[in-house]
Amino acid sequence: MSAPDEAVMWVEKYRPKTLDEVVGLHDITESLKAFMRKPETMPHLMFAGVPGTGKTTLALVIAKMLYGANWKSLTLELNASDERGIDTVRDRIKTFSVYGPSRLANVPFALIILDECDQMTGPAQTALRRIMETSSRTSRFILICNQSSKIIEPIQSRCAIFRFSRLDRKAMVDHLHWIAQKEGVTLQPEAAERIVDYAEGDLRHAINALQTASAYKDGCVDEKVVSLVIGEASPMQVQKMIRKALYGDFNEARKTLYDLMGNFGFSGSEIIRQVQREIYKMSDLTPQQKADLSSVIGDYDYRLTQGANSDIQLSALLAQFGKFGKTIEDTYAPAK
Amino acid sequence: MLQQSSLLWVEKYRPKKIEDIIGNDEAKASFVEWLKNKRHTKKAVLLFGPPGTGKTTLVNAAAREFNFTIIEMNASDTRSEKAVNAVAKPATSYRALDAFSGDSNKTSGNMLFLDEVDGIAGNEDRGGVSAIIEIIEKSLVPLILAANDPDIDKLRPLKKDCMLIRFHQVRIPLIISLLQKICLLEHVKAEFEGLERIAQNCRGDVRSAINDLQNLSERNHTLTLQDTTLLSSRNRDISMDETLRQYFSAKSIAEVSSLLSYSSVEYDDFLLSVSDNLPRRYIDADELAKAYNYISIADVYRGRIGIENWHLLKYFFNELAQAAAVNPKSYKPFEFITPPIRIITLFWTKGKRTMLNAICSKIGSQCHVSVEVAKENIVPFVKMLLVKNRNHSLVAWFKFTPEEVDFITKLGRF
Repeated sequence: MSAPDEAVMWVEKYRPKTLDEVVGLHDITESLKAFMRKPETMPHLMFAGVPGTGKTTLALVIAKMLYGANWKSLTLELNASDERGIDTVRDRIKTFSVYGPSRLANVPFALIILDECDQMTGPAQTALRRIMETSSRTSRFILICNQSSKIIEPIQSRCAIFRFSRLDRKAMVDHLHWIAQKEGVTLQPEAAERIVDYAEGDLRHAINALQTASAYKDGCVDEKVVSLVIGEASPMQVQKMIRKALYGDFNEARKTLYDLMGNFGFSGSEIIRQVQREIYKMSDLTPQQKADLSSVIGDYDYRLTQGANSDIQLSALLAQFGKFGKTIEDTYAPAK
Repeated sequence: MLQQSSLLWVEKYRPKKIEDIIGNDEAKASFVEWLKNKRHTKKAVLLFGPPGTGKTTLVNAAAREFNFTIIEMNASDTRSEKAVNAVAKPATSYRALDAFSGDSNKTSGNMLFLDEVDGIAGNEDRGGVSAIIEIIEKSLVPLILAANDPDIDKLRPLKKDCMLIRFHQVRIPLIISLLQKICLLEHVKAEFEGLERIAQNCRGDVRSAINDLQNLSERNHTLTLQDTTLLSSRNRDISMDETLRQYFSAKSIAEVSSLLSYSSVEYDDFLLSVSDNLPRRYIDADELAKAYNYISIADVYRGRIGIENWHLLKYFFNELAQAAAVNPKSYKPFEFITPPIRIITLFWTKGKRTMLNAICSKIGSQCHVSVEVAKENIVPFVKMLLVKNRNHSLVAWFKFTPEEVDFITKLGRF
């Protein structure tokens, strides 16, 4: 077992602190180094790409390179998915960017890191665009998002855009082995492969799985313990809800739906995203059936954005599953 | 402005003097007593009782009689701490300038009136109640709160700091004589039985009685008992179940449409209740899917209506009507689920969600992720680590409380 005094989650403990430590993003780090040589030339940046590929890490590295130990007081770090409304933009971002600490400290500008900003509402983005314009003398923005297409054009055109693709398999495996070695954990090669399969290019996910697995079996991580941990960490309620709906047990399916919304506080759009993902994992559906179900989900995903009550839209989706399940009943002999 | 309000009899005949307000003599007396003598011992007063019994009218009349300037906020204003402070604080911490000018005949100062305090909603008005308590403590001027239902949990803290004055339903004979007076002034020829019927139907709510009288008699300046059969029952609790029953048992689209156009139920609640009860109505999966499709589209219209596009309401009703008429033949009576499942679920699980969100924002700020990402991707691992070792160093690092550790280790899988 790892030392009892380990201070932090490994994702944070081994989050790179310099550009050279960053895994597998050579092209991007080289361009950033160029900016860092003459920070006042740095434009607004936009980092776009799938989760766990190093976007937030790079933003934090830049903050530390610009301001050293003081970085926290000169950086405003906001997660737009937590505070996505126009009020946040008006109050916090505007105040920081206009009256920011840049006037007090001997630095060219203050830094605003806006994570998950594709979750921002349209009006908030419009307000942000204006602030980016008026405050460009005092502050720089790093906008982080999964899909740059969800960001309005005028903002995109004001940023240097960097695209992050899924991390390379080998780089991830190597990185896991490196952490394991630092932590004094024996990581078996097949176990590392299994973690990387599971993480689907998300390094944060992989490191969390590794840390949890190593706590389970005296610092020796084999394939068995990895499977156990991954199994436990995977969502199952959504899968259960889908199957109930397909079997024709609508009421049970809807109960699970309200459990997810009530006890876990998942929003309608989070649940529908998980539904979509789980459908593609179901091995007992043919590709055609998955595609058909996907069309239905897409329709209701759209209605969800337009409608007033997400629970009604999701209930209606479950009812459609029930109808769909009837047409292919043989396929759904209750599993397990 | 003046002309418009004179069109509504409720405004036109709103009593200007305290003595003209009908009923609730005891409440009126204790309010006047408080205003004259007792407000130095208790700074605030809470008037509570059913709607239309004269709470707002009393406050306005008293202000006129005792020369107070009223500063009013009601439920339609947002009552967040910020808003309350912005409007209410200056009013309470500085006396009106006239009060110091020596010309005290003119005005006795300001009087802050928070109407419909039970309209304080959970989210919109975060901190509203505590801000009100703070104002009560700091206030230099009389402070009046009015509520329809004083038993709502949120208002409980207010009760301690307020003198409570209860208003009762106004008695029927008093209402009848008021209606007679109005009929005289408006030249309406009214049958006594008709007025009696209105007074009985209004459940002690003078405002609605006057409104009913105006609606029924304005056109012809007459009122017969026959006219009052058009009165909709003002008992709202019964009408939801009844509307659902008629809705689900309807034989045709035409029948549902006419039901929906006459029913007075609140249609947001109705939509939720229909959605809840749909699987009890349609057992067959195809029928259920078809009906739910209509409900889903109805909900889309509801979303697009928002607060302004009311012209879309007819399409909303059309979809609702279609959902009821998918297959009239398959109808069998069933017991309704009310009130809406969602409201019950969200009520019972609020504590859990709040706890989980607090945990996730701690994780979020340490690991630089959003609450949602923390919930979905990090909490499961944190849970496993804590199950393995409750005293894991991450407890200190995340600053989890013992209750939070408990909560995480017992958290079910999602």
